[in-house]
Amino acid sequence: MIPAFSSFLARRYLVTRRINVLCMLGVAFAVWAMLIVDGVFTGFVHDIHTDVRSSSPELLLTDLPHDSSYEALRAQLESDPAVATTAPRLRHHGLLQPVRAARAGQRSESSQLEFERARTNNGFAVLLGVDPQREPDVVDLETWLDRGPEQIERRGRQDPRSTVFDEPDPERRAELLLPDAMEHAARVQAELPCDPDPTRHRSVWPGVLLGWPRVFANARAVQGDPFDVLCVAFPTEDADGAVMRPHTTRMAFAGWFSAGSRMFDETTAIVPIETLRTMLGHDAFDPQSVDLVTDVAIRPVADLDAGAMSALAGRLQRLAQASLPEGSPPCVVLDWRAQNDTFLSAVAQEQAMMEIVLFIVMLVSAFVIYTTLHMMVTQKVKDIGIVAAIGGGPSGVGGVFLISGVVVGTLGTLLGVGAGMLSAAWLNPVNNWLYSQYQVELFPRGLFDLDEVPCHLEPSWVAAVAAGAVSLSVLVAFLPARKAARLHPVTALSYE
Amino acid sequence: MTTQPEPVLRAVGVHKSYAIGSREIPVLRGVDLEIGVGEKVALLGASGAGKSTLLHLLGLLDTPTQGEVQILGEPTGRASAGARAKLRNRHIGFVFQFYHLIPELTALQNVLLAQMMDTSVLGYMGKRARCKQQAVEMLTQVGLGERLHHRPSELSGGERQRCAIARALIAEPSVVLADEPTGNLDSQTADGVVELMFSIQRTRQLAFLLVTHDETLARRCDRIIRMKDGVVIEQERAS
Repeated sequence: MIPAFSSFLARRYLVTRRINVLCMLGVAFAVWAMLIVDGVFTGFVHDIHTDVRSSSPELLLTDLPHDSSYEALRAQLESDPAVATTAPRLRHHGLLQPVRAARAGQRSESSQLEFERARTNNGFAVLLGVDPQREPDVVDLETWLDRGPEQIERRGRQDPRSTVFDEPDPERRAELLLPDAMEHAARVQAELPCDPDPTRHRSVWPGVLLGWPRVFANARAVQGDPFDVLCVAFPTEDADGAVMRPHTTRMAFAGWFSAGSRMFDETTAIVPIETLRTMLGHDAFDPQSVDLVTDVAIRPVADLDAGAMSALAGRLQRLAQASLPEGSPPCVVLDWRAQNDTFLSAVAQEQAMMEIVLFIVMLVSAFVIYTTLHMMVTQKVKDIGIVAAIGGGPSGVGGVFLISGVVVGTLGTLLGVGAGMLSAAWLNPVNNWLYSQYQVELFPRGLFDLDEVPCHLEPSWVAAVAAGAVSLSVLVAFLPARKAARLHPVTALSYE
Repeated sequence: MTTQPEPVLRAVGVHKSYAIGSREIPVLRGVDLEIGVGEKVALLGASGAGKSTLLHLLGLLDTPTQGEVQILGEPTGRASAGARAKLRNRHIGFVFQFYHLIPELTALQNVLLAQMMDTSVLGYMGKRARCKQQAVEMLTQVGLGERLHHRPSELSGGERQRCAIARALIAEPSVVLADEPTGNLDSQTADGVVELMFSIQRTRQLAFLLVTHDETLARRCDRIIRMKDGVVIEQERAS
């Protein structure tokens, strides 16, 4: 039983000592910071996960040996009833050079400052060869193509959505060819040889889709513009040993995409898989060539839970391995998280580090409670002696300071939770207002390609922070309370 | 045959020593003492005689090194700190030379505090109005009816001591232990405070142990106990 005098005296001390208000504000600030910063971070992480997921197929068979054939793998993979469909992918490094810029004598960026200014301005790209017939079945290409122009528009430029995947002629779609008139106009613009009669022109340049961040380096690119795409084939053996064989193919810029993952969008250029195969020396008309793939994107049937997905990945890995030549190194099947493991781990690590920093803020506020209560005990030694003399027991005396700490911690927590929830609700209006009035942004959305600051307060996190803050207050209040309870009444009464 | 009532306070062979480093400093050396119901006892002695130490032991604020203190015949030697606190609240009232009021509380709150010691928050809520009425009556009795809501810093020395007396008496103790209650007051105020204490003592038939240097004041008590070097050297009837 906590005697009545403990709460009475605690209340009087709290009301008459202003430092307790400061203490309470310290707890409130720590709780607010933990909620709002983690809320924003959770929102970011949620958006990042959504974006990364939309940029990746559900499952990806990868780490295949060179010269792996898609058809052999496809037969094995699609034999599993949990696989809805698959699509071949061929990934290779390449270099993009806009023809008009080259003809105008523009040099590529080379100084450190120029490189820092535009990381995607260097022309290097991961060429991702996709089968335009099958790729839309494994990733949400429609959305990628919708979001590309939207991203460009946010930066003050209007570009039409790419239509190369909507081409009704399957042969033209397989090469991502642009409409004939568009390619003809581009040839005229670039002063390249072409038939004077536009109606007789037939498109021949395979299409290349660029991730939207490349707009910074290709500000004047319009659909149809020719790009020279260079890649180096896998080494082949001749009399002098290994030989690298460079291939250059002229392609037409076919539009912007935004898969959602900034890293993917910055680095990747989508090209027709047959074009890339040809560049790597596997011409479709050559009977010796194979339908080369480096990865196979897999869409499972709907509604697989995490356990079933993991089991499927294991099965597919074994099936794929069985179809590879004996002695081949092990291939892997990755889910969308594993495909982006490095990035997602870095984000998770950042969140963990930030939570540690916030926890330290909380510890500092708890330390403030401790020092305040400790100081209060020291200043109130005489009072402790008086209370003991009129019949206050050790538990009641300790209770005075324990209650003080708990009240400060609880009120501070409630204030912090309230402020945190209000801040979360008003974060974007305030951010917008600050920007409109003073061109100041608390959270620069442009840095993360977001329309608004994502803030997602998890109820479980709010509860955990509140419970943690109150528990910490009890813990730190316990020490001064114990000190007070252990004071000898005579020593306390004679304290000066 | 009539049975003698148990003394309110009894000290039996009480010793108290303090350790300073490796040295033991004896302060009390075998004190035997009894205070009967309604008896006024003055405790006289020079500084360092052990008066205050004896007062602390009799008031259960401290424990003897040897010997025992009994309250109404009940031994207290084995009582825990919490149990001793309860006994203090029920049976003993303290009046100190320097008043020892809590500065954050008003006169009324200082007195009410003594009524909150042995009751839970809920228990106190049930009797709050009655407690407050008793405290107001007690403060009115000691002449502070108009000063109920004043803090100690807003009261004179005499008023503070009256407030301390009210606080000591509110729980209706069996004995009041007063440690030089007039030592910090001018003579006129001191007379007033003494008159008040003795008047209440007579009315309520309280036992009273008064530690003082003032021979005149001691003479107004029923019995005088003189101490020197930690022992009682003389007990005499005063009047």
